[in-house]
Amino acid sequence: MKIDLPKTHKMYRKNKGFLEAMHIDGWLLLGILLLLATSLAVVYSASGGDEAVMTRQAIRIGIALTIMFIFAQIPPNIIYIFTPWLFLMGILMLIAVLLFGDIGKGAQRWLEIGPIRFQPSEAMKLVLPITIAWLFAHSKFPPSFGRLVLGTALIALTGSLIVVQPDLGTSLLIGLSGLSVLFFAGLPWKVIFTAIAGVILSAPVAWHFMHGYQKQRVLTFLTPESDPLGSGYHIIQSKIAIGSGGIDGKGYMGSTQAHLEFLPESTTDFIFSVLAEEFGLLGVIGLLMLYSFVIARGLYIASQAQDNFTRLIAASFMMTLFVYIFVNIGMVSGLLPVVGLPLPLMSYGGSSLLTLMISFGILMSIHTHKKLLSK
Amino acid sequence: MPEHLDFNSDNESFNKKRQFRFRLYVAFIFTLILFAILIARMTQLQWLEHERYQGLAEGNRISIETLPPTRGKIFDRNHILLADNQPVYALKLIREKMDNINATMLAIQVILDNVDPKRVHDFFQKFKKRNRSKSYTLPFSFSEEQAAQFAVISHKHPGVTLTARLKRTYPHGASAVHALGYVGRINQKELKKLDPKAYRGTDIIGKSGIEKYYEDVLHGSPGIQQIETNVRGRVLRKLETLPAIPGKDIHLTLDIELQQFAESLMGEMRGAIVALDPQNGEVFAFVSTPIFDPNLFVDGIDHKSYNALLHNPSRPFINRVINGRYPPGSTTKPFMALGAIENNFISPNKKIYDPGYLVYKDHRYRDWKRTGHGLVDMNKAIVESCDTYFYELSLDMGIDNIHDALAPFGFGSHTGIDIHGESKGILPSQAWKREVKGKPWFRGETIISSIGQGYNLTTPLQLARATAILANRGKVIRPHLVRSHKTEALEQIEIKKISNWEKVIKSMENVMHSKKGTARRHATHLPFKMAGKTGTAQVFSLNAGDYDADMLHEKLHDHSLFIGFAPVDNPKIAIAVIAENAGSGSKTAAPIGVKVIEKFFQLYESETYYPQQNVTANNHED
Repeated sequence: MKIDLPKTHKMYRKNKGFLEAMHIDGWLLLGILLLLATSLAVVYSASGGDEAVMTRQAIRIGIALTIMFIFAQIPPNIIYIFTPWLFLMGILMLIAVLLFGDIGKGAQRWLEIGPIRFQPSEAMKLVLPITIAWLFAHSKFPPSFGRLVLGTALIALTGSLIVVQPDLGTSLLIGLSGLSVLFFAGLPWKVIFTAIAGVILSAPVAWHFMHGYQKQRVLTFLTPESDPLGSGYHIIQSKIAIGSGGIDGKGYMGSTQAHLEFLPESTTDFIFSVLAEEFGLLGVIGLLMLYSFVIARGLYIASQAQDNFTRLIAASFMMTLFVYIFVNIGMVSGLLPVVGLPLPLMSYGGSSLLTLMISFGILMSIHTHKKLLSK
Repeated sequence: MPEHLDFNSDNESFNKKRQFRFRLYVAFIFTLILFAILIARMTQLQWLEHERYQGLAEGNRISIETLPPTRGKIFDRNHILLADNQPVYALKLIREKMDNINATMLAIQVILDNVDPKRVHDFFQKFKKRNRSKSYTLPFSFSEEQAAQFAVISHKHPGVTLTARLKRTYPHGASAVHALGYVGRINQKELKKLDPKAYRGTDIIGKSGIEKYYEDVLHGSPGIQQIETNVRGRVLRKLETLPAIPGKDIHLTLDIELQQFAESLMGEMRGAIVALDPQNGEVFAFVSTPIFDPNLFVDGIDHKSYNALLHNPSRPFINRVINGRYPPGSTTKPFMALGAIENNFISPNKKIYDPGYLVYKDHRYRDWKRTGHGLVDMNKAIVESCDTYFYELSLDMGIDNIHDALAPFGFGSHTGIDIHGESKGILPSQAWKREVKGKPWFRGETIISSIGQGYNLTTPLQLARATAILANRGKVIRPHLVRSHKTEALEQIEIKKISNWEKVIKSMENVMHSKKGTARRHATHLPFKMAGKTGTAQVFSLNAGDYDADMLHEKLHDHSLFIGFAPVDNPKIAIAVIAENAGSGSKTAAPIGVKVIEKFFQLYESETYYPQQNVTANNHED
């Protein structure tokens, strides 16, 4: 990665192209569009050639791209000003969910306001890291102990409001996105290693507090074959799909696992298995390269950001994206427990796509709203 | 960037940036390492273990199929079947396996001669765009004969399989439709609220009436069957099965014979009849007319028939028993009278002179009888339905006392019947008007309230219930349609003097049996004593949300009402009848009410009540 600062800036000043004027980052957009196009193709195949499903997803992609574009127009300092209020609102909505939330699949994740139905925890995926970045916008490197404690407290508050919904998976992932900001803000290494050791040691305690279905998932993860027609079914069928794909895959629309309906939720959480079955190891490597390209570009944007607030946001968003990809693929390939998480930019569905595209919009805004330096 | 965000101008900031970039590198390398782990895992699965999984993908073909539960049946009180499940045949289609979709479609159109070919065509248009490997069911059922016709040519149409399933049928057709309700296809809104596990393999759900209220009981829970299939998805054999648990049968308190008799009495009229057991609230007849055939809805009704029903000016979809809100008119008088004498506003023997009107604040409130009833006591006021008597009484009582006297009979509150969505009606009071209309109460409004007009609105079910409570001397029963085996502890209205109740009931008996009674013509032949009260409700312009009878044609005609119960001493049945825009209560509603009661005793207690009754007790002077 190149860190040659002054040159880049000169280039921006001189040739302010069309995309730049529209506050769009071309490389990032290219990566995103390639992923979304792949997504449409695989969703179409996974649904067994259901045009209605593909049309809906295409419409969602269109809306999400538009919203990304809108967010790219908002200068980061505006976000900075509103951050405390957004956080406050997010926390209040999480509390509202606990009080009045709609119960879907046994967890109260949805809030209904008139005709709109949404998950406040989805919004928190963005708001929490932004808030932690806001907290460290002015701090030294490494930051003061007090500030780190405050940051950890905000993460813990948000995480615990989500974990009681109950949604352990999302809670952990949102917590991780907040922690990644702490990492980039300069959390001392010794604290990091101590914390990792602590988590490993406290695993038995966490086990004690898990819900029955969560314990079941962990057990199934450890020995999926013990329950081949119950909860282990998903993982076994997913591994069969991936493994039978081989090196070059069964070809597009060739996923028998999805088409004969052995693979559950083939268009959403298990979309990766369909891709792996149809395009094989080569397809998988291609997909991971595309993801790496997007993450690298995002981290580059972070490295070029002019202030602490924006660089923390950019870096944290990319780490969050990475964690989601890793957890989903790890899950469907049997490396991690089944946590019910979509694959970013690939799975069928609207709300996670929207959150992601907003984060890309903010990333583009960070990259294209830089003030020319006086130096 | 605001000043305070600019960190580029000092050394510390430079240092910070350097440190930050170092951490970015660490993060990116971390990312690449973990991606490498994923690729290693994929290499393991897709390269090293590929052959094993390939074998599993081809050989392992155990899938899980859901067995939908059989819906519970519904019976009437005499174990006569009201809602049944009949086997019908349907076609399952898988696009992937079909050779020539259009040829198959044509064949189906020919066989299904009872279905508009366009609807079949529309289904296929949609089907062509859906998942090509999933099986879809043609939403039209085949009769046995049609199924046989298709079976003959089925070898020409691969990808189409004939399956049998159970279809909800209502053997009595339109009868009791508003009580039973019906099932229909699950819609998007219902889908969101359902437990997807419990409804796997089921595509119908109770939409209204008993079918909806007792959905949980009737539905049951699905079973699971493991099926071994070959690569092409063909079933090789069926393995372990977890059988479905069928829904429970339900026994209603309705008597379908009485119900159908009551429906026939209504003829073409709009209105409602409710008959119930005053001792326990069991509903014998639950009639709302016009009725319509629920069988139309089971497989989805076509637009034409649906619109015809929806836009029918008689509004058959409205469940008038629980959602029709009518001014109770003079049927409110026995309750008014009882409230007045129980609370000492008037003595039952006190006589009031009625010149045919009451003047209050320069306004003349007319009695229905222009010439007046002369000297009127409570008995005469009820028997001849004298308005002026109640006008005067109401001014003494005031609206809030009237409200408090009528509220225990359930006016203005839900009856608690086991059907969703009943209306509350309106029992006005000062507080009610302030809250709802935001205006103070006028005493003139009290006067018209006293004869059940003005703001007063009641559902036929409320009226029947109030009558039952009067009949059983104050036991607050809850009307219900499903037979319950536990006896509910009933609330009892506080009785100050039982003789007051007996006097009011005696007056209602005189309505039916004395020479001046408003319903005397209809009860002369009865071998037993019954009590009743007619009502003729003027149709005011209501601002009713649920149902506004005066939006209909003939709207200026009065509603005809009747309440009654029998026998007087040991009531077995209480009834309320409302015939919309059908004129006076004594002309239309009263004879219907009497006939239903008569039929009831023919059906149930003919030995006890029909022969050797003491005829001399009756007044035959009419």
